[in-house]
Parts: sequence; C-alpha cells; structure tokens
Amino acid sequence: MVNSYANTKYLGEIMDSLSSKYEDKNRDHVVKILLLGLCTIVIAIFALGQGSSVNLDMLTTAKILLQIEEGSEIQRLILWEYRVPRVVFAIIAGIGLAVAGALMQGALGNPLVSPLTLGVASGAALGAAFAIFLDLTFVSELLAVLWSVVTEIIPAIPVISFVGSDLVLNAFFFALFVVYIIIKLGSVRGVTAESYILVGIAITFIAGAIVQTMVYFATAEELSQLTHWSFGSLARVDSREVWLIGGVVIFLVPKALEWSWDLNSLSIGGDEFAISTGVDPVDTRKKILVLSSLLTALIISFTGMIGFVGLAAPHMSRLIIGNDYRKLIPCSAIFGALLMLIADTIGRTIIAPVVLPVGLMLSVVGGPLFIYLLLTNRGGH
Amino acid sequence: MSEIMKVEDLKFSWGDNLVIDSVDFVLRENEIVSILGKNGAGKSTLLKCLNKILEPDQGKIMIHGEDIREIGLIATSKKMSYVPQSITSNFSMDVFDVILLGRRPYINWSVGELDRKIVSKTIEKMRLTDFAFRRFDRLSGGERQRVIIAKAVAQEPNIFLFDEPTSDLDLKNQIEVMKELRKIVSEENGKAALIAIHDINVASRFSDRIILLHEGKIISNGKPSDVLTPENIELVFEVTSRQVVDEDGILRIFINDEITKD
Repeated sequence: MVNSYANTKYLGEIMDSLSSKYEDKNRDHVVKILLLGLCTIVIAIFALGQGSSVNLDMLTTAKILLQIEEGSEIQRLILWEYRVPRVVFAIIAGIGLAVAGALMQGALGNPLVSPLTLGVASGAALGAAFAIFLDLTFVSELLAVLWSVVTEIIPAIPVISFVGSDLVLNAFFFALFVVYIIIKLGSVRGVTAESYILVGIAITFIAGAIVQTMVYFATAEELSQLTHWSFGSLARVDSREVWLIGGVVIFLVPKALEWSWDLNSLSIGGDEFAISTGVDPVDTRKKILVLSSLLTALIISFTGMIGFVGLAAPHMSRLIIGNDYRKLIPCSAIFGALLMLIADTIGRTIIAPVVLPVGLMLSVVGGPLFIYLLLTNRGGH
Repeated sequence: MSEIMKVEDLKFSWGDNLVIDSVDFVLRENEIVSILGKNGAGKSTLLKCLNKILEPDQGKIMIHGEDIREIGLIATSKKMSYVPQSITSNFSMDVFDVILLGRRPYINWSVGELDRKIVSKTIEKMRLTDFAFRRFDRLSGGERQRVIIAKAVAQEPNIFLFDEPTSDLDLKNQIEVMKELRKIVSEENGKAALIAIHDINVASRFSDRIILLHEGKIISNGKPSDVLTPENIELVFEVTSRQVVDEDGILRIFINDEITKD
C-alpha cells in the first residue's frame, strides 16, 4: 500500500501522533461518560421532585435533600420515605441489569444477548409462580428455621427479619438454581458460548411450560398477581432492601471491571484469539457469566421481568465509546440508570395517580430511542 | 543458531481420527519455517497444539528448554503469538485498540506509554497508519488480516505462529507482509516464525526450512530445494511439478496441469 504519510514524516513523529490521538480519544470518552453521569444526577433530582401527590422543583428538592431548606413534614416524608428509595433502586437496578447485559454480550460474543437470555429470569418467574399459585413458600420458611437455629446457638445475634416477601425469596431461590446450572455447565469440558445460550433457551422453555401449566388452572386473582410481577416494577422494595441490593451491586460491578481486558479480547476475536493474548476463554466466560447471572437474579427477583435495559444500555454505550470494556462497563451502568430513571419517572407521572410499571415504560420509551440511535449512528461505533 | 522450540513425539486425535502422528521438529533463532501439506494434513491442528488452543494427547513442547505445560497462559502468550486463519466478530474496535490487544499479556489495567509506543511503532512498521483509527469491522478481509498480524508483532513474542497469514492478501500485500516478517525474524534477537501456508512459492522464497506434513506425519524437513522436490510434491499434493532457479537465484516451483491421482 502506498503510504505517503509515512514517507513524509519521521517515524518518531508518526508514533507520537498516533499515541497522542489514542490518548485524546480516551480523554474524550471519559468526558462523555462524566457528562452522562452528571445528566443522570440531574434527572435523579428532577425525578425525586415528581410524583402523584407532592411536586417540587429541582432546586427545592436539592435543598431539602441537602438539608439547606427544611421543607414541610409531608414533603420530607414523601421524599425520604418513598421517593429516595425508589429513585435509588431505579439507579441500582439500571446499573445492575445494564452491566449484566454488557458482560453477557461480551462473554458470549453475541450482541443479541440480554440478562434474560441465560434463563435466570425464567427461573425467577417460575419461583414467583410457585409462590403465587401453589403457595409454595418453603424458601422463607426454611430461612426462618435456619435463623432460629442460629439465634439459639448464638443468642447474642439480634433477631432480624429476612428481607423480601415470600414471592421475592422464592423467585431469588429459583433464579439461583439456574445460576447453579450455569456454574455446572461451565465445568463441562468443551463448553462453548453457544452451549450457554442453548441451555438458557431450553431453561426458558421448560420454566415457561411449567408456569403456563399453573396458569391454566389459576384463579383470576392469581393470574393478576403473576401478570403484575411479570410487568417489571420498582414498587416491591423497601428502603432496607434497596441498601442491601445496592451494597451487593456496588461490590460486584468493580469485580467485573477487573476482567475488562479479558472481555475485550474475547468479544473482539473469539476463543482462539483470546488464548493467543493469554486469556483462558472457558474460565473467563464462566466467571463472568456467574457474576452477571447473580446480578440479574438479585435484581429480577425484586423487580420482575425487565430485560430491555440490559440489551439496550450496552449498545447505546458502544455507539458513544466503542467496545473497550474498561469504559463500556461504567458507561453501560450510567446508561442503564438513566434509562431506568427516565422510564420510571414517566411511568409515575404520565397518568398519575396511576403508576405504570417501569418494565412497560422502558420498552415503550426506550425501544424507539434505541432503534433511532442504531439507525442514525451507522458511521460511529 | 540456538534452539527456541523443540517438539517431541507430538500426537493429537479428534476421536479415533489421528490428526498429528508422532511429530518431532526443532525451531531455531532467526528462522522462518513453513509447514506445507494438503487440506486436512494437520497444519492448523499442529499450530493450535503449540499455542495451547488444543491439548495434545501425547508429546512434549519445549520453549527455551521449558515444557509449555508448566507455564501459564499469560507467560505462554509472551513467548508465542498465534494468528488464526480469519477472525469474525460481532463487535468492533478501532484498529489501534485491536493491535493494543497484543499488549494484553503485559497490561494490568491502564495502558502505559511504552505500550502505546510499541503499538504506534508496529502500526507504522506494518503500514497501517491510515487505518489506525478506523473501525476494524469496516476493513476488507486483507486489511483485517494485516491488523491481526500487527497485533502479533506488537505482542513481541519469541515465536510467531501464523495460520495461512497471506490467504486473504493480494499479491503485493503478500510480499510486503512476508518481507516485514522476514525482517523482524532476521534482525531481532531470539525470534522465529512457524507458518502454515498453501502457497509453495511464497513458502520457498521466504522460508529457511520447510516441513512437509502428510496425513499427520512429517515426511520431509529441510531446505526448500531439498523438500520441494517433484517426488515429494507428487506424493503429498498428487500433482507433477518442476524446480527452476531463476536468474536472481530464487527457487521457483512450477506445477504442471497434470493430476496424478483422481
């Protein structure tokens, strides 16, 4: 290839120019991620002020939150007791599901993958269905028995109740069972990315068939409960649960960041390419899928079916900053939080006092935006 | 020339099908060795066994006297760099970032100045400056192949393992890539290359030695003129041929249109 550029410049100059161009690109990406983060904070403050009963402007909301202004008792109560947990949970759930989606897409080398692909959510749905239709609540009963044994042996431990309703605990237990299947699958010799996806599809079919069988015999009230769970909602958590889930998400996401280079190699070149760069694809895929499935299980058990954010947020991020997982994971996390916040705020306010489930709003609002971005950014990343 | 890699009694089979059968050879410093053989002879499988993509059933692979089973994947990737036949990906990065993946064995998290410099130098050396910040998936097959070769160069290994590195390249790019590889292997200390290739003339022109693989076994190993004899070519490729040395002293193999077996 004729390379006039190389002929007219010295090697040192070209090297410096390439190196600084790479640095400039990275700096530009970091600025974009920070701006998105700032945008998320602004929208979170706006969201805190909006609702069916008390509406506050952003400045007043910020002042009450920062205790610069006292506000009325009802304003403080609504803000701290209802809206802060909900908005924080929207952010946490958005972060968790978006990061899980980005990790799964990279580890499986497949852009069509979402947190629902591996069957974890179908497992959760099966657990929820058992709790609703068969009143099967052995998980919470088992935990209660275990806890009573522990407190008997060590009486100094204060009596605390378990987080989550019977339904949530059941959903989480069954989702964990699917995570266990993923762990076992990861130890099978010769397991490929396609194996995980196919097993995930099989689990989805099996769990779906069992749920449908129960639906066939269900009462109208039971059906309504399951349908409500499947919409995807942020209303099922209290503030204690929000902090607990938040703690786990904050612990797991930085762990994922440690594997960024492995994911870069695996997602760009596949297994053989990854090995040539010193990455063990089987081991890497297994640990990443286990971590992302745990994130999904934890969040979906509380929220119900929300899959779109885990599919769309990583792709929206790729359009802006490319596929470098060191930047893609934080960018997807912020996009996930942002999408979830926007969808939930619209859902809470558009026909207030009726609150539309966030899962529906995400697809209705986020879907067209996602398609628009994909169609208009063909030249970018 | 000192020995870099030694392969002893290597065997690999897919189920009952023995693909690599008791292969022994040595790779020495500053040497390019090409592996020739017809489709299914075991060329790619042999390279994959050497790079730990496949686990051999039997045998020993030593690098600088050390058994590769005893060293981890990251340490192996600092010693060997493998270039697969082709790469298809559902995601994309800039060419600079793809070549940077060659520095993966040396990077923990952030990209240091040295890594950036090595990548930039490789981009210039491999004449990819105009592509450096273009998307990898938007390049042609040949351009992509050159990027993956550049990634292997940036990895700074002792041994390059290339599987059909010129298959997607046009004639000019074939010559340029092979010349650059020749230069790296000849001029830098402690380097060698093992290349699975189909083009007999590219192999004979740029290789110090040729290994002829037939049904998983090495049937000849030596200088191109000693290995690429009409008898060996007829045995392996089932075509007749003749050797000619042109006025520049370069060995040319002419394949006749005559097929010896149906």
